[in-house]
Amino acid sequence: MSGRTYKPEEMVDFVVVGSGAAGGVMARQLSTAGFSVVVLEQGPRMNASDFVHDELKYSFLHGITNSPELNPQTFRRTESEKATQPGSGSRNPLTYARIVGGSSNHFTANFWRFREIDFVERSKLGPISGTGFADWPITYADLEPYYTMVEWEVGVSGLGDAAPFDPWRSKPYPMPPMPVKSSGVLLELGARKLGLHPQPAPLAVNSVAHNGRPGCVHCGFCQGFGCEVMAKSSSTYTMIPAAEATGRCEIRPESYVFRVETNKAGRATGVTYFDRDKRERFQKARAVVVCANGGETPRLLLNSASSRFADGLANSSGFVGKHLMFNQGAGVYAEFDRPLNDYKSVQVSRIVHDFYETDPKRGFYGGGGIDSRFGPTPARWALLSYPGMPRWGEEFKERLAAYPRTMLAAGHTTSLAMPANSVSIDPTLKDAWGIPAIRVTYKDHPDDLKISKFLQDKCLEIMQAAGARKTYLDPNEESDGGVHLLGTCRMGNDPKTSVIDKYHRTHDVRNLFLCDGSSFVTSGRGQPTMTIQALSFRAGEHIARFAKRNEI
Amino acid sequence: MTRQPDPSASSHAMLLPRRSFLKSTGGLLTGAFIAAHWTQICDAAEHAHSSATEPAPHAPFLTAAEKAEAGAIASCIIPSGATPGAREANAIQFIDTALATFMARLVPEWRAGMAEFAAAFRKSTPGVASFASASAAQQVAFMHTVDRTTFFNTMRTLTVLGTLTSPSYGGNRDKAGWKLMGFVDLHIFTPPFGDYDRDYKGFVPYPKGSKS
Repeated sequence: MSGRTYKPEEMVDFVVVGSGAAGGVMARQLSTAGFSVVVLEQGPRMNASDFVHDELKYSFLHGITNSPELNPQTFRRTESEKATQPGSGSRNPLTYARIVGGSSNHFTANFWRFREIDFVERSKLGPISGTGFADWPITYADLEPYYTMVEWEVGVSGLGDAAPFDPWRSKPYPMPPMPVKSSGVLLELGARKLGLHPQPAPLAVNSVAHNGRPGCVHCGFCQGFGCEVMAKSSSTYTMIPAAEATGRCEIRPESYVFRVETNKAGRATGVTYFDRDKRERFQKARAVVVCANGGETPRLLLNSASSRFADGLANSSGFVGKHLMFNQGAGVYAEFDRPLNDYKSVQVSRIVHDFYETDPKRGFYGGGGIDSRFGPTPARWALLSYPGMPRWGEEFKERLAAYPRTMLAAGHTTSLAMPANSVSIDPTLKDAWGIPAIRVTYKDHPDDLKISKFLQDKCLEIMQAAGARKTYLDPNEESDGGVHLLGTCRMGNDPKTSVIDKYHRTHDVRNLFLCDGSSFVTSGRGQPTMTIQALSFRAGEHIARFAKRNEI
Repeated sequence: MTRQPDPSASSHAMLLPRRSFLKSTGGLLTGAFIAAHWTQICDAAEHAHSSATEPAPHAPFLTAAEKAEAGAIASCIIPSGATPGAREANAIQFIDTALATFMARLVPEWRAGMAEFAAAFRKSTPGVASFASASAAQQVAFMHTVDRTTFFNTMRTLTVLGTLTSPSYGGNRDKAGWKLMGFVDLHIFTPPFGDYDRDYKGFVPYPKGSKS
């Protein structure tokens, strides 16, 4: 499917940078509202027929993700250290899919809504010293209609109001939950024994045919892989075709934007990018919307510094790149007596949200959710090296043979916004196009590690209650990277302490908007894509309204 | 329970080639179309399942001595026995291919590590020419002294990849590694998936206000 095309010199209403979870929705919203849209995507376009069950390629050779060779990054724990590149064979600190549809292709598709508390935690709990802990400028009620849009238009399967503390909703899910797996049954068994409230997991995967796409065939190559039957609700199969169907949207792959251009009046005029032949191009646009993810969006703004915007574009607050959050988390691998065969079907079928909210009695900030999952595909599973796990020899071989009898109970938890945790520009390292690379600075707040350990202990209790005969605990270490890239261009009402307003317009540049994980103010509990897409539905609607009123 | 289209409804659907089917879809199919093209959906899943990338042809990379040493190390990591190990999975062929092609950047470090490993073995086990020619007991005893080194970790990774990733890369011969793990190599599954979901009675909702 392809829509109309535009020439770079042709003025379009909007250029959208990035085609992932947020960019796909944004393209759909703006083009269906009647505007001409060009979406520029770093990576190539892949069809369903291009996705294969090749663990080596996807998990070890950066088949669809940013590669340390072409797109290198550096990492340091604190600002006083010199950042270095990860060792040979390691992945980048900030990992994302570099293809049309972005990380919505290979995500796990765990689609939890935020709750009301997520948006107002700072008011409820008070300040936390040394952090950038703050309320969002919007509420759950503001976002609820857009969560519903995601569920129906992108496609989410689930059971509404399944647990007594679920957030309120205006409409049920469009599809029933995915079939329960043995890991889900065991999580539910253990949790119910402990008096908890396990519930079916909402997933952005079709449990039955929906919106012209088939139901899941349970192949098991879901997390880390693109879906070959289009049952996973990736932007590639949902929002991007809808945008192209308007006849007003062009998806332009292998177009790597490295600078947002501005004029003397301080307005964005378009973006400069490399095409697939590494030729420099300029796409003119009346407005620019950056949806490049929580790593690439701040990098683009910082690399777009000019004499007028010396510290980076839209960075009068100094907050561009700051407050990076990954979501902490730790899990327990559990071995049972009989086969679960959990490598079949989707990752997750049951969740436990009893520990979602911060409980002051614990003595630290944070909360989270637990889910049941099979963990990785065979080679990645074999290479796990947790304390007590045999790593070679006869005992290792016995562990390999236990693969069908194992599952992972995983805790997904909060990260506090810390000013020093950031995406900045490395002073020397450049990528394969000669563009200054990302430098990540990250050290978990002590409370992040405490809540992670707390939830891991709960995972262990649940697995033991379910009858696990052997367990292995994730070391619960400090983060050295992540795939949830959050908070780096936070939204807020005060231009001194935020980068965008509550409609995603940058405080400094009237016709520049940002929407992706960078917009987050707090981290949620580990499953951000649902909220990223709800924000994008909402932002797209408001941006279109502004454009129609000539308020851009 | 997932409701899936009736496979019997697709008797004429083979007229549309798989690739044409995939390229024609773009996510805008109707439910009726899906029901009529269930065969193609299965075909797409099978294609994804079977089309792992094949590396470029290459000349044998490892020397005979390297092949013997690396093969012995791999066998120590995943031993042979009642069930297949790295040797039966032909992990050494994967290692040869990987170092010749897509992991060539590892070669200098790998060769230096191998030399260090061999020297340390000779020092620890006087009178035995190489790790490959040592007894199983000697190999295991030595391995315990080096199993936290960078070289060991690299060999562990290569051995696991050569035993458990797609056979198209030269290892996992006859899917020996997947058989060892009990990983069933099919592209479509239907519930129940395992023993514990087989007898599941269904999700029982909670009464309102039941949070403890």
